Amino acid sequence: MIRIQLVDDEPNILSSLRRLLKPQGWQIDTFSKVEDALGGLLEHEYAVIVSDYQMPTADGVTYLQFAKQKQPNAIRLVLSAYGDRESMIKAINQAEVYRYLSKPWDDYEVVAAIKAAIDLYQLHKENQRLREENDAQRAMIKAREEELLRLEADNPGITRVKRDADGSVLLTDD
Amino acid sequence: MTQTAPTQSEQDALNARLEQANRQLLQSEKLAAIGQLAAGVAHEINNPVGYVYSNLQSLESYLNDLFRLTEAVDSAASLEDLRLIKQNIDYDYLREDLKDLLAESREGIERVKTIISAMKDFSHIEEEEFKLADLHRGIETTLNVVNNELKYKAEVVQDLGDLPEVECIISQINQVIMNLLVNAAHAIEEFGKITVRTRHIGDTVVIDVEDNGKGISEEHLNRIFEPFFTTKPVGKGTGLGLSLSFNIIEKHNGDIKAVSTPGQGTCFSITLPVTQPDQNSDD
Repeated sequence: MIRIQLVDDEPNILSSLRRLLKPQGWQIDTFSKVEDALGGLLEHEYAVIVSDYQMPTADGVTYLQFAKQKQPNAIRLVLSAYGDRESMIKAINQAEVYRYLSKPWDDYEVVAAIKAAIDLYQLHKENQRLREENDAQRAMIKAREEELLRLEADNPGITRVKRDADGSVLLTDD
Repeated sequence: MTQTAPTQSEQDALNARLEQANRQLLQSEKLAAIGQLAAGVAHEINNPVGYVYSNLQSLESYLNDLFRLTEAVDSAASLEDLRLIKQNIDYDYLREDLKDLLAESREGIERVKTIISAMKDFSHIEEEEFKLADLHRGIETTLNVVNNELKYKAEVVQDLGDLPEVECIISQINQVIMNLLVNAAHAIEEFGKITVRTRHIGDTVVIDVEDNGKGISEEHLNRIFEPFFTTKPVGKGTGLGLSLSFNIIEKHNGDIKAVSTPGQGTCFSITLPVTQPDQNSDD
């Protein structure tokens, strides 16, 4: 199940986003306090985190930086009514956000950005899974090769014995 | 060349020009302050507009679902079909959520309305004469205008006494209070508390704006009302806010003072007479 975290100090923003995202069938967790959102990070794995910029106890960039450490795979987005250059630069450089969306937002734009973020998240996940599978297979091959080398060292020539179709050993002089 | 003493009429003309220049300065400081607040006000408006706008789009899709149901009343073959559609569009959720959607949107629009009317009240240019005014309403308006500068910096506590209507130029008093509030927020480093207190003492009223910020050092404290004195970085403060506040209060035959303990906070107190002694018309 794709899980999405929304953080905004304005509860009405959270409920309008929940409405907007409901038809997509994702699990949506909303938090109006940064402290609670931090707690959420410990409980669930998120595909996407969307945070407001200006909030009372911590700004969105600080929060997303923290989220990045806790859940590096989650894709981070900012949804802010504060479109100044400084905050955008901070968001990009410090929190490495994937998109910076502004309020008021276009519903289509928000949904599209989250969908794209989910794709990216899944791509990373898939990539990671393939790499792990690759590593496991490589480890198996290496173990097998080592076993062959050991046999050859103990009994020189044993790995090069020729057999015919029914498995009997062929003794021929080259 | 020797300068002869100006005649009475020359002096009157000079005084009139000085008065005119002061008025212009006051107005431009007010506009500059509003300019500095503009980003904050935009933020304050963009939030409600954001969710109201989004809610309207959700409302459209809810209505489409509901119409699908009502139109099926004519075309559906059986009651069972209708029930199926009702289930399909998650009717119970729609019904419940529609109420919330409308209530929240209404709240959003109310907020925008409040901000706009506060801005309008605040920037009144024409009001130049002394009139009886409700200071608490002025404080409320000012708090609405600067809310965005304050809410991320401090909890605002209002401790308002019983005040009579006070003879003053309310737009100018608002400007003074705004200056004090914004300064208080700037003095707070993390998250603090700002207290606005009013009381009625004899034939005066007192307005306190107190913060628990970093305070003002002794050597700065006796310079804060000087024009162009600022400790804010270049481009952040004009150094005119408090000096103009001082002029405004002086013109109201009142008094403004600051008491500060570095590291603990500052309290600005404005004392205003309830009625102006004799209409001193210097216009």
